[in-house]
Amino acid sequence: MSGTIHDTLNPSQVRQNAMFDALRAPCYALCVTMAGFSTIARESGFDFMMTVFTSLGVWGMPGQVAFASLYSASASLIAIFFAVSLANMRMFLMVISAADMMQLKSHNLPLWKRVFWMQFLAVTAWANLGLAQQKYPSHLLLAYYQGFSLTIFIFGILGTILGFFLSDILPPEVLRVVIFVTPIYILLLMMSAGQKANRLAVLIGGALSPFFFPFVGEWAILLAGIIGGSLASFYGHYIAKWHLENVP
Amino acid sequence: MNDYGFFYSWLAVFFAILATVIWRFIGVVMASRIPADGPVMVWVNTMAYAMVSAVLLLILVRPIGVLATTSLDHRLIGLFAGLLVMFFSKRLIFSLFCGVCAFAIAIHII
Repeated sequence: MSGTIHDTLNPSQVRQNAMFDALRAPCYALCVTMAGFSTIARESGFDFMMTVFTSLGVWGMPGQVAFASLYSASASLIAIFFAVSLANMRMFLMVISAADMMQLKSHNLPLWKRVFWMQFLAVTAWANLGLAQQKYPSHLLLAYYQGFSLTIFIFGILGTILGFFLSDILPPEVLRVVIFVTPIYILLLMMSAGQKANRLAVLIGGALSPFFFPFVGEWAILLAGIIGGSLASFYGHYIAKWHLENVP
Repeated sequence: MNDYGFFYSWLAVFFAILATVIWRFIGVVMASRIPADGPVMVWVNTMAYAMVSAVLLLILVRPIGVLATTSLDHRLIGLFAGLLVMFFSKRLIFSLFCGVCAFAIAIHII
């Protein structure tokens, strides 16, 4: 989207705006969510360095939680590898989608730099990019993403560190309300996505996964994602024909 | 509690990291091969949205850790309150606030 006042902004201003967007709410919620992961990790037998390196290297909450629970059950390395990759498979789609939104190709970055920046991609930054897309022209979205994702990454790691030592400071009554913030925040963020097909996908995918889970376990995520996404695309393309509308 | 040694524990961390980095890497490589405005990109996007939503709903319906001390009713009240306010007000942070407040109030009342 272009032709807005933001056309006059330069990348460093956009990076700063993104940082402030992150500081408005999402970074604190993520900080507490990661502190929640630290608590689970500590209970599962992780030491401090392992907990921090898991957050730094995996940087995807469902995979981290799957890892911690398998670790506490003394699962094999192969089981850990497959469970974490299944839980974090969405990264693959999110990276493609984010690269498309940011027109990553046009920035001509070498492969290692593209992989480096995508290491900071997690669901909060990705969903926010969808919102930023409605405000900023696409050539500035890489700068937006850098400012936003780095800010929440720092807060997430801070949360991991603090959570390992301070998990007893917040009473559970408060902690459970704060941990509730991140999933709701991201669901609401996705429901404000510009494309109708994406909003429909959120509804179908979200409705299907709890029903699939009793039958197929963790595979429910993959199944609900593929079926929900395909149905939404199919409906949008062949029945509602949303792509023929000018305004999404 | 587990019975891994020092070396095996760090190997487990390495495998967990590898299991995620692989997807990011494949994503970066694939991204430059899919045409930006084509139907495949629309499909990839809708699947990403559906899959993230699927993960979040599983977290809400079958949570672990401290969130599991609340009941499903509480969490659903919070979710639907947030969605309802979002539907009418279109204001993200305000809707988030309402959803979380509804959740907190539900825990204490119901």
